[in-house]
Amino acid sequence: MSTSVVGKNLRKVDGVKLVTGGAAFTDDIQLPGLLYGKILPSPHAHARIVRIDATRAKALAGVVAVLTYKDVPRVPHTTAGQAWPEPSPYDTYLLDSKVRFVGDRVAAVAAETRAIAEKALGLIEVEYDVLPAVLDMEQAMAAGAPVIHDEPDSTKIFDKRRNIAGYILREIGSVEEGFRECDLVIEREFRTGRQQHCAIEPHISIAWLDADARLVIRTSTQVPYHTRRQCAMILQIPVSRIRVVKPRIGGGFGGKQEMLLEDITGALALATRRPVKIEFTRAEEFYMSRTRHPQILRMKMGARRDGTIVASQMTVLATTGAYGSHATTVQGNTGSKVLPMYRAEHMRFECHVVYTNTPVAGAFRGYGCPQGFFAQESVVDELAHELKMDPVEFRRRNAIRLGDIDRLSAQLGEGREGLPRVVRSCGLYQCLDRGAAAIDWERKRTARPRPGHLKRGVGVSCTMQGSGIAGIDWASAFLKMNEDGSFYLQAGASDVGGGADTVLSQIAAETLGVTLDKIVITSGDTDITPFDVGAYASSTTIISGGAVRKAAEKVRQQVLQVAARMLDTAPENLTCGANAVSIVGDRRKSVTMTDIAMQAMYKDKLQIMDGASHYNTDSPPPFCATFAEVEVDTETGKVRVVHLVSAVDPGTAINPMQAEGQVEGAVAQGLGYTLTEELLLDELGRPRNASFLDYKIFAAKDMPKLTAILAETDEPLGPYGAKSISEVPINGPAPAIANAIYHAVGIRIRKLPIRPEDVLRELRAGGML
Amino acid sequence: MKKLTIRLTVNAESKEWSIAPGDLLLDVLRREGYFGVKRGCEKGECGACTVLVEGKPINSCLMFAAQADGREVLTIEGLAHGDTLDPLQEAFLDHGASQCGFCTPGMILAAKALLEKNPNPSEREVREAMTGNYCRCTGYVKPVEAVLAAAKACRRAR
Amino acid sequence: MFDQVDAYHRPRSIREAVRLLHAGGSRARILAGGTDVIVQSDPSIRSLVDITQLGLSYIRKAGNAWAIGATTTMAELEDSAPIRGLAGGILAMAAAACGPVQLRNMATLGGNLANASPAADTAAPLLALDASVVLAGASRRRRVPLAEFFSAPGKTVLGKELLVEILVPAPPRGGRWGWSFLKLGRTESDISLVSVAAGLQLDARGTCKSARIALGAVAPVPLRAAGAEAILMGQKPTLARIAQACERVARDVSPVTDVRAPAEYRREMAGVLAGRALRDCAQQAGVTL
Repeated sequence: MSTSVVGKNLRKVDGVKLVTGGAAFTDDIQLPGLLYGKILPSPHAHARIVRIDATRAKALAGVVAVLTYKDVPRVPHTTAGQAWPEPSPYDTYLLDSKVRFVGDRVAAVAAETRAIAEKALGLIEVEYDVLPAVLDMEQAMAAGAPVIHDEPDSTKIFDKRRNIAGYILREIGSVEEGFRECDLVIEREFRTGRQQHCAIEPHISIAWLDADARLVIRTSTQVPYHTRRQCAMILQIPVSRIRVVKPRIGGGFGGKQEMLLEDITGALALATRRPVKIEFTRAEEFYMSRTRHPQILRMKMGARRDGTIVASQMTVLATTGAYGSHATTVQGNTGSKVLPMYRAEHMRFECHVVYTNTPVAGAFRGYGCPQGFFAQESVVDELAHELKMDPVEFRRRNAIRLGDIDRLSAQLGEGREGLPRVVRSCGLYQCLDRGAAAIDWERKRTARPRPGHLKRGVGVSCTMQGSGIAGIDWASAFLKMNEDGSFYLQAGASDVGGGADTVLSQIAAETLGVTLDKIVITSGDTDITPFDVGAYASSTTIISGGAVRKAAEKVRQQVLQVAARMLDTAPENLTCGANAVSIVGDRRKSVTMTDIAMQAMYKDKLQIMDGASHYNTDSPPPFCATFAEVEVDTETGKVRVVHLVSAVDPGTAINPMQAEGQVEGAVAQGLGYTLTEELLLDELGRPRNASFLDYKIFAAKDMPKLTAILAETDEPLGPYGAKSISEVPINGPAPAIANAIYHAVGIRIRKLPIRPEDVLRELRAGGML
Repeated sequence: MKKLTIRLTVNAESKEWSIAPGDLLLDVLRREGYFGVKRGCEKGECGACTVLVEGKPINSCLMFAAQADGREVLTIEGLAHGDTLDPLQEAFLDHGASQCGFCTPGMILAAKALLEKNPNPSEREVREAMTGNYCRCTGYVKPVEAVLAAAKACRRAR
Repeated sequence: MFDQVDAYHRPRSIREAVRLLHAGGSRARILAGGTDVIVQSDPSIRSLVDITQLGLSYIRKAGNAWAIGATTTMAELEDSAPIRGLAGGILAMAAAACGPVQLRNMATLGGNLANASPAADTAAPLLALDASVVLAGASRRRRVPLAEFFSAPGKTVLGKELLVEILVPAPPRGGRWGWSFLKLGRTESDISLVSVAAGLQLDARGTCKSARIALGAVAPVPLRAAGAEAILMGQKPTLARIAQACERVARDVSPVTDVRAPAEYRREMAGVLAGRALRDCAQQAGVTL
């Protein structure tokens, strides 16, 4: 199908205001009477609040409110931005009399200025009964370990007494039998680190009561609707009395798939009857928001001599930190999206997710897959090596194919029974072909090692993700027509920077037969836009886009009805395009969209408008083949990535330029995850490197040559054939780089991030030096 | 608290502001409505608060407002001329170099300063000039492309 | 953050600046580029003494030395033709490696030294060049060799004085010189894990007349590796000799473990980087190793 708007590299619809510094982000407003809010963080990893007295703080001039657990309702909830009923434990409280990690909420203050708020924090008197803490996930389930969630009113925790937030066990076939059949079985252990999202805009929420005394929350969020529902529950006011508005967001990546500051900001606004803003400092962002789940993974895979993978087993220990946000769902993905990459007859996934007194883990781009693919793709590489097969060939031989049914997904939905997945589009093999060509795989695999201390190698990884959560993610959209032939598109979807507003507008424009400038979009405002679960699980293009397509199709029919009357023909004889409707085969007989609008509004007295809801019962996987060329400095252990190729099958790329941008950004985060990023804690659970100075993300000079390739396919379940692209490329770099290091210097690093001192130590141990 | 008066030029307009001695330039600029100057880390690491002072990129979170007295400051709001965007802004739009856009003002200003000094930079020089502007969305690929394209367009225009 | 600051002074003379420092006591803070003062966010500061209007931004010849005013920025150093030409440009390179352009436009040489981070990038080249600093007090000035200026991490011998100038002697003439500056960081814009500045002067017969090896980030203060230098002095530099000197470097440093790297790795890298720097110097000075 040839398209005129979809598939084009059109400028982002919000682009001009971004490049001119327009007032578009949460903090870009001035509100009279705005108060500055601040949270008092716990200095202890685990403690009970024996006494808390805010008298001196309240007495400070300029302090308007101080809230402790005594002042607010106690409503167990999860902060995870998930559809109700959320599969995450209800183990969190607006304010509590117990603190469970360094940085946990103790109290909150609203004051006339930031300086006064900060000073007030120091005047809140708190007496703690410091409890033993468990910081190491391997100690969390041990007999005698301190119980982190001993409160009786928390629910949905798998086993409170053993600090187990969640437990998952799923098996297809019998791996025990499967391994017996194998000629080669490899089992290895992997460890992955605590990565932080580092969105350049920290979390920020501003709340106020409008003239109708409704609570308005303007906030940097990926999930306005979940946030509204959760705030209603926590603050004990009806949903209809809350409005959540999402302006431009300065990056989310999963860290904002969370109700993080909105409840406390709302509580302060209610207590003071004035607008209140809470914005995290960068330090607070590092340890008081969310991180990726650190995991220890045991990966066991077995194959026959002929190169067929027969059985794969993954056993995971993960920590969710002090609260169980996204605990079972992230880890569920580690199994469900990773193991089925290969057509093993037998698969088993077992996972314990434990609490520790550490910063809270949550959603982060990839959502459990980066960890899982690091383990699986490293073991697959070892298998290939042992079987003396080329790593790309070995993957080609075993990878999932068009028409396959993934039965593991049926067992691992978002916290409940999922639905079996059918692969209806699969560009993986094109990704492998084109990616291999781009990195010059054949030549570099067989190249002679260079003399000297710098050694080069190439490695590959195959990864996939999902596109929306089957049977759970859903969206809706509404369109109405204006006099000038333009359409207002109201979509609940959250554009968090990836260009969703533009992509959805392109879909609407294509369906309606108009140019992109004829679509004006409003998104993410719970008063104005209809429901959308929010931006996560790579759902926006396929699910929100699906809703937009449906709504646009319905509106198109209304347009055609009016045009048919104007042109004295039947709607079936008409076609839309280029802002006009014309008779098929006779372009001269046409009316413009403007004509139609004016006719409808002022003659027919009809507002052309309609909406639609949409969800899928499957989650079509986007595929990604990642190739890395590295240079290892065997004297310093430093690993330099020379070239990174990420070849992705996103279905149709609605806006190829934006799609490439997603690949490039995801890869950059993947590179940091692999080589430099880790939030470190000391022996008391305090953050050691909560700043950009000490926690290094990749800057412009650090980036390798990066090639993004779009190997498009046509997905029946997606609007115009689209699947998704925003997460999958982040899964590839870690294993591709680890495998490239092996090719370069013959050592296997199984811990992320890969530090130079670790490389040096392995080189020494392997006798390479 | 004794207030100071500073007189400076912001985007070619004379300004006279009353500030406290310890006020940071970032805070004062945002207070005065220059929302394009972003707060990302307040430690001079992310570059989201970049402004040009006499044409040189600096982190406005690391400058006391008092130090701006008598100086010429350019923020992103001062780059376009009415409806005419700067070639860098056009290039960012054409190349998809802005995703969330939070780092964009700082990046564009850093690039502007580079091109004023060096109209024909190499890719390496562009990366060097922009390494103080952290971006978590783009992997820097399209921003670097956009700057090189803008440089080419400017050279052709001359 | 600095809401307790109640005075901002912009003195017009060094005497006035020093007087303000005395008057303000421990609550007065010198402000040049501000990049350290603001990041450190010391809540006890009550007055700021802005020294950027004292005419201390200059790079000029002073006899056989280069005199650099204390408020000269890293960007000015990196762009300065004489500094780029001095000692293979090691000071210019260190200034260029100090951080991204936004920082280099504000950060000053005097500030970098007075802040006395063990990892201060400009310290190693300056030590390798036998630089000294001029400190101005209420009634007198004194000149202190840089090697005696740093006393502990973050601490210097500065009293109620202003660091006004850095004097960098031109390297002794004769023979051929080779210079090198290297640093190791986790990423390109990181605080150094190790930095090395080295210089070798070889006479007509290829014997080492002068050996300078200075290191940053591997000891409480930036230092010269005197023991390693002695191994090279009066000898022809060979791979074996250089390796010996590097072993000595690795023994003589006392790095710490921090979030950037473990101590043992830094110790080892001090040796590795010193080796690379020295081999580079030798090659520049005309030796085939």
